[in-house]
Amino acid sequence: MATRTALRRALPSIRSAITHPEQQSRFLRSFSTTAPCPAPNPSSSTPDYAIPDPSRPTHFGFETVTEAEKRERVAGVFTSVAESYDRMNDLMSFGWHRVWKDHFVASLNPGFSPLTSTSDPLGPQHILDIAGGTGDIAFRLLHTAHVLNRNPSVRVTISDINRAMLTVGKQRSTLLPAPQQAALSFVEANAENLSLTRPLHPYPSAAEPTTHDNQGNQEQAFFDPSTATSSIPDSSVDLYTVAFGIRNFSNIPAALREAHRVLKPGGVFACLEFSKANKHPLFNAVYKEWSFRAIPLIGQLVAADRDSYQYLVESIERFPSQAEFRDMIVDAGFVVAGEGYENLTGGVAAIHKGMKPRAE
Amino acid sequence: MVTRPISCSAGAAATRRMLLRHSRPINLPKRATASSPMYSPSTGTVRTITSSTSQSNNCVTTQRLRLPIQPSPIARSARTYHSYDHPPPPGPFTPAEASLLSTAYAHVPSHGFTPEALALGARDAGLLYISPSILPDGSFSLIRWHLHVQRTLLKGKLVEILGSGGGERMRVEDKVEALAWARLLGNETAGVVRRWQEALAIMAQPSYIPASLAELASLADEILYLAGDVSVDPSWYTKRASLSAIYAAAELFQTTDQSPGFRETRAFLRRRLDEAAQAGGAVRSVGEWIGFNAGAAVNVLRSKGLRI
Repeated sequence: MATRTALRRALPSIRSAITHPEQQSRFLRSFSTTAPCPAPNPSSSTPDYAIPDPSRPTHFGFETVTEAEKRERVAGVFTSVAESYDRMNDLMSFGWHRVWKDHFVASLNPGFSPLTSTSDPLGPQHILDIAGGTGDIAFRLLHTAHVLNRNPSVRVTISDINRAMLTVGKQRSTLLPAPQQAALSFVEANAENLSLTRPLHPYPSAAEPTTHDNQGNQEQAFFDPSTATSSIPDSSVDLYTVAFGIRNFSNIPAALREAHRVLKPGGVFACLEFSKANKHPLFNAVYKEWSFRAIPLIGQLVAADRDSYQYLVESIERFPSQAEFRDMIVDAGFVVAGEGYENLTGGVAAIHKGMKPRAE
Repeated sequence: MVTRPISCSAGAAATRRMLLRHSRPINLPKRATASSPMYSPSTGTVRTITSSTSQSNNCVTTQRLRLPIQPSPIARSARTYHSYDHPPPPGPFTPAEASLLSTAYAHVPSHGFTPEALALGARDAGLLYISPSILPDGSFSLIRWHLHVQRTLLKGKLVEILGSGGGERMRVEDKVEALAWARLLGNETAGVVRRWQEALAIMAQPSYIPASLAELASLADEILYLAGDVSVDPSWYTKRASLSAIYAAAELFQTTDQSPGFRETRAFLRRRLDEAAQAGGAVRSVGEWIGFNAGAAVNVLRSKGLRI
């Protein structure tokens, strides 16, 4: 306790907060854990989160906006950071995000099948990587399945709402070996409704932002459900992964229910996401300083986009704690093993896993 | 005068321990009421306690009054766990884990504690090869399942292990030996003896060592509990520590034992337990000797006029 007090006192942030009261209120809000309360909906008997409603309030960083507005603004954030996304990840986490992602994929062990005389009776594995954007997780999943587990039948679908991110992933995938490229597919979809998807229409580079699609509308960076041509059917996916994506969703419970719908019985929902490092107060204080002071600054210097990275750290702060998110996963119909989550680096990130139980 | 209450309560506690340890069927009344005839274990006489709870021998009275309410260790074994005062903790496995691990357990004799066994178990449970990836520790979860299942099986097999009547006439030491041996035989019935070396290698990985040691401690506790050990002094710890060490050594011995019916393992277990008993006796004797001589030295010094 004495250490904490001493550290707090030493932090220049407090000093500046005292001299600038308008900043102080903002600083204190960064430690808020209160989730925004959606407006009550007494006329309906179904839970109000079950129905997507573009006008319902949700949060964008520390601001409260409507769901539709959040979708657009998240799209804006990721369109602007798509090009520098991986470089920024390295700078922000000292390259440690690669360790998390490697561990995440290794713990899932995709494509593993026991050595038996008969072939796999359950058919080839289909992996759906939601918010997969630049392909970080999907390429690792493919490598584990095809190379380490020698199972070339595994297919991976990368899905993202943001065509700019998906286009970066598509470009990066051309460096993969041909069999792995053949096992990949890119799909635009909103994770809250996977019954409306379409294959990737590449997004133009930033050099030519004013191209128009065939109907003459100005092209948008994010997926428009009215242009959907296909869908992801019920019980068709073995493994659903979402890494550092789910906190950007406007309606997380709806996305979890959609994950439950597309997974086969026995299929696994796996989520890698920033979480709370509350267990170690000293470490947490240093981490908070880093994320609220250094990361927006790095964003400004490297990606010339301070606001997007300000949103990033605020959205991390607003995301529920490990146990709360585990309960949300259970509420969506999944079963968990043990605690239901695994902390990485003292809780800075956490892996949540759930299994869709067999229908009785 | 000052030391009197201390020695009095310690004496009563020692008497109670002695009485419970031997667990002889002593006809004690179910519920002690004031002025009921009471058996006095120290003198072997029946004395009547009048309603004198607040008088000069208060200490003796309350201790004696509490005695008959304590159920015998055998009666207590009807409980599901060790604490006499707290409800049993929930099992360490969620239903999802239990369904995956119980089917995978059947594949351990042929595939070992491996991802293969887990994947085949998932298929048997009607799930997918990817399903075991929800287990937090992979293969180690399967090892924990084995340890948990074999440990909890002991209680159900108590009559089989100790004979009818739950080994009322056996010494605690003999019951400990019988239970530890039954647990070692559990490895054989589960078919994991030949796979146990690889399991020990996984258990020795640094991140799994705390969980493995905790499981070993629970096993020692279970065995001593089922054997009816009711020590309430530091020997509670030394007994569990020595039994843990002996059991771990015997299990390691078992992995390389080729003798029919693991005869050699049983002999090894007996030798180690005898040695522990001898060592315990030696420590006790030395302590007694030191205590006696220290007391004598003090008395000699007092007789010389020293104010001690």
